[in-house]
Amino acid sequence: MSNTELVLNADRSRRSQLAETLTNRAAATSDFAALSRIYGPWSTQLRRVSDHITVPKEQVSKASSSYVEVGNCLLRTLDWPEQVIDIHTQGSASTQTLIRYPDRSKFDIDAVCAVDIDRIDARNPVGFFDSIGEALSRYAPTAKKRCWTIDQPGHPFYLEFTPSIPLATVSKRTFEAMRPRFLPVREYEDTALAVVDMPTRSWKTSNPAGFTRWVDRTASRQIVQTGMVAFAKHELREGVADVPNQDIEITDTLRTAIRLFKRHRDVCVQRHIFEKEFKPISVIIVTLLTRCYDGLASIGHTFPHPLLLLVELAELLKHMVPTRDGEYHVDNPTVDGENFAEKWNTDRGARLRAFSLWCDVLIADLQTILAATDEGEIHDTVNRVFGCTAATATDADIPHNRPTVHRPPPPPPRTSGLA
Amino acid sequence: MPDTTVRLGNFDPERLAEDFPGFIPVAEERNGATCYRLRLPSFPQGREFEAAELVLPRGFPDQFAARIRLSSDAVLRLPHVEKDGFLCIDGDPGPSSGASADDRIYWLLDAFEKKFLRPWLLGELDDDFAKEALDYWRIYVDQHAHPEDAINSVWIAEPPCEARVVDCALFTPAGIIAVHAEHRVLGRIRHSLGATAKQELRAVVADIPIDNALTPQTWPQSMDDLRFILNGRLPEPDCKKMLEPRRRNGRTHHRVVLLRNPAFGFAYLLPGGPTIQAGGKKKQRARLPSKSPRPLNVSRIDASWIVGRDQHPVGLRQSVRVLVLGAGALGSPVVDQLAKAGIGHIDLVDPQNMVAENVGRHLLGAESIQSSKAISIAQRIETGQPHTSITPSVQPAEVWLREQGLGGVDAVLDLTGEPDVRWAVEKARKEIPCALLIGWLEPYVAAAHACVLPAGVEWMRDGDDPMVHLEAVEWPSDVMQQQPGCSSRFQSYTAAAAAHAVALVAEQALALIDGEIQEARIVSWIRGKRFLSAHRDDLILREWAHPAAEYDGLVLERPFK
Repeated sequence: MSNTELVLNADRSRRSQLAETLTNRAAATSDFAALSRIYGPWSTQLRRVSDHITVPKEQVSKASSSYVEVGNCLLRTLDWPEQVIDIHTQGSASTQTLIRYPDRSKFDIDAVCAVDIDRIDARNPVGFFDSIGEALSRYAPTAKKRCWTIDQPGHPFYLEFTPSIPLATVSKRTFEAMRPRFLPVREYEDTALAVVDMPTRSWKTSNPAGFTRWVDRTASRQIVQTGMVAFAKHELREGVADVPNQDIEITDTLRTAIRLFKRHRDVCVQRHIFEKEFKPISVIIVTLLTRCYDGLASIGHTFPHPLLLLVELAELLKHMVPTRDGEYHVDNPTVDGENFAEKWNTDRGARLRAFSLWCDVLIADLQTILAATDEGEIHDTVNRVFGCTAATATDADIPHNRPTVHRPPPPPPRTSGLA
Repeated sequence: MPDTTVRLGNFDPERLAEDFPGFIPVAEERNGATCYRLRLPSFPQGREFEAAELVLPRGFPDQFAARIRLSSDAVLRLPHVEKDGFLCIDGDPGPSSGASADDRIYWLLDAFEKKFLRPWLLGELDDDFAKEALDYWRIYVDQHAHPEDAINSVWIAEPPCEARVVDCALFTPAGIIAVHAEHRVLGRIRHSLGATAKQELRAVVADIPIDNALTPQTWPQSMDDLRFILNGRLPEPDCKKMLEPRRRNGRTHHRVVLLRNPAFGFAYLLPGGPTIQAGGKKKQRARLPSKSPRPLNVSRIDASWIVGRDQHPVGLRQSVRVLVLGAGALGSPVVDQLAKAGIGHIDLVDPQNMVAENVGRHLLGAESIQSSKAISIAQRIETGQPHTSITPSVQPAEVWLREQGLGGVDAVLDLTGEPDVRWAVEKARKEIPCALLIGWLEPYVAAAHACVLPAGVEWMRDGDDPMVHLEAVEWPSDVMQQQPGCSSRFQSYTAAAAAHAVALVAEQALALIDGEIQEARIVSWIRGKRFLSAHRDDLILREWAHPAAEYDGLVLERPFK
């Protein structure tokens, strides 16, 4: 089903028309400045949430240094020429949707290390996986399903390295020998990779760079008529590419929606609305929102203000999951046959229920936020819904009431006996 | 009469104001306390609170400590603020520190600045609600509580499991909802509550496990919030049951949402429950929430918490069945210890009634004279320890063993000291092998022994009872006293001396029950020479017990061969 059809179906299925109610507030105004005044109180607070959940620059910078350091170590240890291995980020770090967890859990920087096929034995995926682990041994990595995790003690992040080979460099004969699970979508096959799926000890097709490209390309479709859409840009370097900037403008509405909705999902876990195990995974949220955004763009739907688009995405999201032969499908747009929602069909409805409920809570929470009119009320509601704390002062803001004369500290408290 | 005059020692407000620019040296008397307003900085949005003051209570500095109080808008918005606005931070070390009033106030203001105000403004205290989550929950409950509330707390008597809806009991007028899937446990809790549980009503509880503690930032505040949780965490029929106050018969029922993990619990009483008659002569309706859910305090009375506050795992003890033979001066307190250690079921066998001379060294007191020891102990322990059930039997141990055998028994404790009972136990263990502990005291409790035998290890040695040979003292024949007018022989000892023996036997019994003892052994508590000489000067320790001679008492362990 095309994205357009999906959006049209979702539009027919949805129960609320929050976006429409919101549009009515602005009557017939289409002037962006006037709309900004009307929607300003809410969009300001959502922008604040977006800032709050942004991983601080110094932490991204530190994570970036660690990632480059480990990447370079990998290059040195494997003793391969620089051009046979390409290390770059994937997942939220690369789609610029990396966010902080509300409970201060560590964030992760996912990276793929793509190795020239000539350097490895295509018939021995597990051996390849292990060789990367061995090269990272000084960092005491832990093997996961498809990657090696490197903890960074004392830092708020950890690194994940996924060994892979670019399928574009693989001959047809070798490809047939590898027999990877799933095939690359032709449009993105130049960046397709084969990664090692350890549970099945075989190759599996993946395409993180293609996925990033798909999100980037969709986000660049302009459906908010502000005339001031800003996109973050990132530089690329050979060998080890930098972690992209994570600071996103609210006018980059797709990424803003992805970040805010992911945060809302994490807060729902804290509010015990569903169990962590069943929470909607990030890649599903990104895929559905991007498809929805793309469908809206293809229909020719435009929005005079980003807030209206955010609400529209929230309302359509629940109905964006198609079924085929009675099974739920959230297809990877860059890998043919890969269904991100595979587990939804085998868990007796637990993940579907969590997703559906999350969408309901998201809409209800947005309704509560939009029903608030007083600035303080909007501030407090937004804080609660997105698990934000109040703004903080800087050290320089705080007047020093400290005494000029120092007195020795009080005696230590006496310990009491047990009775 | 306590001295209530305000004496501020060497405290000089003007001088302090020079040291602390935030301190305003203008005193205000309020409720007997002297209060000084503190100057506050400008706050970022969301961090503001109206006021802070230094409070010198009546009796400061000699009886009480100085404190900082914040305005009521800080309660449940800022961490470390108690329900009345007082800050819970170390500062004034108190009158027992011997420090001057001036120094104590100085330190308090310094702590307010360094440990609270500055970290709060910098966002460094933002995660602190989670560190003392239950304290804030109690404040929240207090804010919603009313003296006429018909339901005021939830007692949970079993560990958390999968999300479920369970039928539970509401005891009135206590106003306590007890959570356990088994009605017999609820019955014991009712028994424990005594006169405050005159009536038992039905309540349904949605028992939902959670990972992290609720805080003012995350706890549900409305019926909608709870509805989402119930929808997300319960199967549809259960969710419907919780959201619908009316049952099939048209009557309403009490509904509670309990969110908990192994360490803490938070509960909400949902609106719409049936009327409860308040106690007393007037048949008033007790107060119930009408529109929004009301938070309730949660107490844990499950074995893991009661037994060792989660520090001493109960393990499998709750599913164990222990047979205790003898409910005398040793047996009765040992049974009490087993219950307090979390043993789930005890069969207690003793044919005797309580008599006056037992009172000084028995678990029971004068109130039980002429009552069956076994039955009275069962009633007493089940009242105090509802996680343990006791089946009393008023009959000789030999008869019980003959009639019931050892099927289903995990361990036997023979605390009778009777050779006939030991023989009967031996016979029963030959039919059904079972772990055994034989515990006994020597005269004056000069020694006490716990012989622990894993299943399959026999007590009798070549047909002989080895007890006498295992003792620590070679006893003269006249050590036992003859009770006038009957054939009963007795030996006097104090309850304090016997307490050592109780501890020894109880610890060994628990080790045996927990499966920690693989080899048969005998563990003995032996008093030293000084103790023996205080009773008689002709008492001599046997050679194996000699190491205890120089001490007040010593525990020795020997293999049982």
